[in-house]
Amino acid sequence: MPQKNIDFGRFGARGIKGSDAVARKLDELAGGIATPVTAKRGWMARLHYLTKSTQTLKAAQDAGLTVTHRTLKAWLEGKRRPSKTSLERIDQAYRTVRRHNVARHLLRRLNRDGRGTRVEIHPLNQSQVPQQLQRVVEYRTMNVRRWDRIVGSWAAGDHQSLDAAWQDTIVDLGSQWGQYEYVTNVGFAA
Amino acid sequence: MSDFDAIDSLLDAVGPEAELPPCPVRRELRERARLSKAQVARALGVSPSTLGGWESGRDPAGEVRTKYAYLLDGLNAKLATETESATETEAAPAAEQPVTSGTAPTATPLSSPDLGQDEGIDRDGDGDDVELLAAPEPCVLCGHPAGQRVAGFAQHLTPADCRPTAAGAPAAPPAGQPTAHTSKTPLRTTRPAREAQRSKGPARHAFQETSGPVGLIREAVQGALAEHRGDVDAATAALVRRAIPDAMRLLDETRKGARYDVIAHPWIPDILKKQTARGADQIWEARPKWTRHELPPGRHQVTALDINGAYLSALKTHLPLGRLEHSTGLAHDRRRSGVHLITPPEWEHEAVLPNPIGQRDEPGPLWVTEPTLRLLLRLSGPRHQLCEPPQIHESYTSGATENLLEKFRIALKDARDTAIEQGDTVTLEYVKAMYSKFVSTMGESNYNRELYRPDWMHLIRSQAFANLWLKALKAHDEGLAVVRAMGTDELHVIGDWRRVFAEGRAVTEVKVKDTYTAGTDTAEHTGEGE
Repeated sequence: MPQKNIDFGRFGARGIKGSDAVARKLDELAGGIATPVTAKRGWMARLHYLTKSTQTLKAAQDAGLTVTHRTLKAWLEGKRRPSKTSLERIDQAYRTVRRHNVARHLLRRLNRDGRGTRVEIHPLNQSQVPQQLQRVVEYRTMNVRRWDRIVGSWAAGDHQSLDAAWQDTIVDLGSQWGQYEYVTNVGFAA
Repeated sequence: MSDFDAIDSLLDAVGPEAELPPCPVRRELRERARLSKAQVARALGVSPSTLGGWESGRDPAGEVRTKYAYLLDGLNAKLATETESATETEAAPAAEQPVTSGTAPTATPLSSPDLGQDEGIDRDGDGDDVELLAAPEPCVLCGHPAGQRVAGFAQHLTPADCRPTAAGAPAAPPAGQPTAHTSKTPLRTTRPAREAQRSKGPARHAFQETSGPVGLIREAVQGALAEHRGDVDAATAALVRRAIPDAMRLLDETRKGARYDVIAHPWIPDILKKQTARGADQIWEARPKWTRHELPPGRHQVTALDINGAYLSALKTHLPLGRLEHSTGLAHDRRRSGVHLITPPEWEHEAVLPNPIGQRDEPGPLWVTEPTLRLLLRLSGPRHQLCEPPQIHESYTSGATENLLEKFRIALKDARDTAIEQGDTVTLEYVKAMYSKFVSTMGESNYNRELYRPDWMHLIRSQAFANLWLKALKAHDEGLAVVRAMGTDELHVIGDWRRVFAEGRAVTEVKVKDTYTAGTDTAEHTGEGE
């Protein structure tokens, strides 16, 4: 089964897209403000991050934080509270800007001057699959040397191109790469 | 007649038993030859645990004893020739060139005893084979027990050892040389000399490849010393700073060709995740923190003992290999390991022994790790019967092995032992930083991102605590009064502890931290220093 899965989970296999696992891991590595955006401490911290300089403010506006300076000022002074939709926008803008800012450093650490990073791929969960349909899917590791496309599309928030980039990467696993399109976890360090 | 044949063969079999080197030497020989217990046991046709017994106090008997003696003898000879040729190739080209070239022509194959004495100095003449004997045999030259055999004749290697006869003294051994201690001497006397040669300088590395994990440690130390021009403090600081990446490299090195992968980033269940940035996860490590409430009547001399390298020894524990899988209501499986939600049993021996699950304030079920559970199961077993078996409610387990970090541990232990023997503080500090930081950062730490195994971290720590607890039990069983068990390595006892524990700096031994007297009337003895 070298190709992509057509109807994943039909027989009870569980897992997430490999590219989603990669994005999750990259988000984890990128770190950031842990307090949820709904708490005042959380959204305040995000706003401070987004308004630190004119460049970040510009980036935030490009990322969807389209509010007037007056509103921003009122939020920062604590005179007003962002509405629910605004909170979502703040969070979204924060994540985009943060990813963009971190990507450069993360990329350097992952590429490690061309030596690359070892990636562990934990196979999908077959515990709910009927016995006769279960297949041996092994835990695999591989060294990924070029992270530019993966990190680039992650920073841009482009799921499709991240998926494509990840798929091009796992093709190196050999003819069974299709078994690793869905995984339980992808682990690597940076 | 056939009956008599049988009797004859029986009579032949009855004879002096083959001589074996002492137990630690047996083990050392095997380890230096990089043979596993299983390999050796298979060759001898016994089980690995039997072999373990022979290496730790028991003696084999009968036919297998002869086989074992033969094996040890062979190992001894092989190792001796290997190390000697290694040291010679290192040392000879630089310093001993003139000496060897001067005497080499005379070092013709050993035919007469007189030449044999000269032979001792430059035994690198390549024609003859020097083997080290595990059990000494009388020297063909002087009659004293000699540890080496050259070209089939047991003899001393240096004229200094043979001097009594060389100087014309009668062949009878002088009274000053007891024969009892000689069984060890061949190994013990030759080694320090060899190691002194070895630590001469970094120049020898030009001729030698890095030899496995121990070589890695040695090289790192020598590199740091060279970089800081012999400044011990600066070199130590630099080494301690890079201890974590070096430990990871050492781990990789020791897992070469191993059966199991070290899985560094598995899926981790929520109970093993920190709940807040500074908070802890839900695992209870069973750290002992216990002081005896009432001392036995009278004034006592209390000794505070310190267990050497507690975390280093605790690296030998059942570690889960893959991702932890959830299960409920199953009995304990010895081949799996992980964390378990249990209801601990009542502990009724609080007056004399600490509770094996530590000083727990809240009642009710708690998540414990594999070593704690195994300890509880063992104590509830038929041999000890100290408590009821714990109830297991839920488990996150995976297939386990005890050998995952074994080579890593042995490498560090060997480096530590050598460093202690040579008084090498740099290596000692370096090794200590490596194993302690390795354990403390293998969880969710930003200082070591290559390994995210909070489960292993908890298991290793709990193993250290369980080891301490078992030491307390041993002391109690041997009739000592345990006064305090604290942290990973602190055990206070009353009584003659030297007959229970060996004193020293090896990981199997204990050292004295402090002694103080505790009063009669005070319920708490808390550290009134004498």
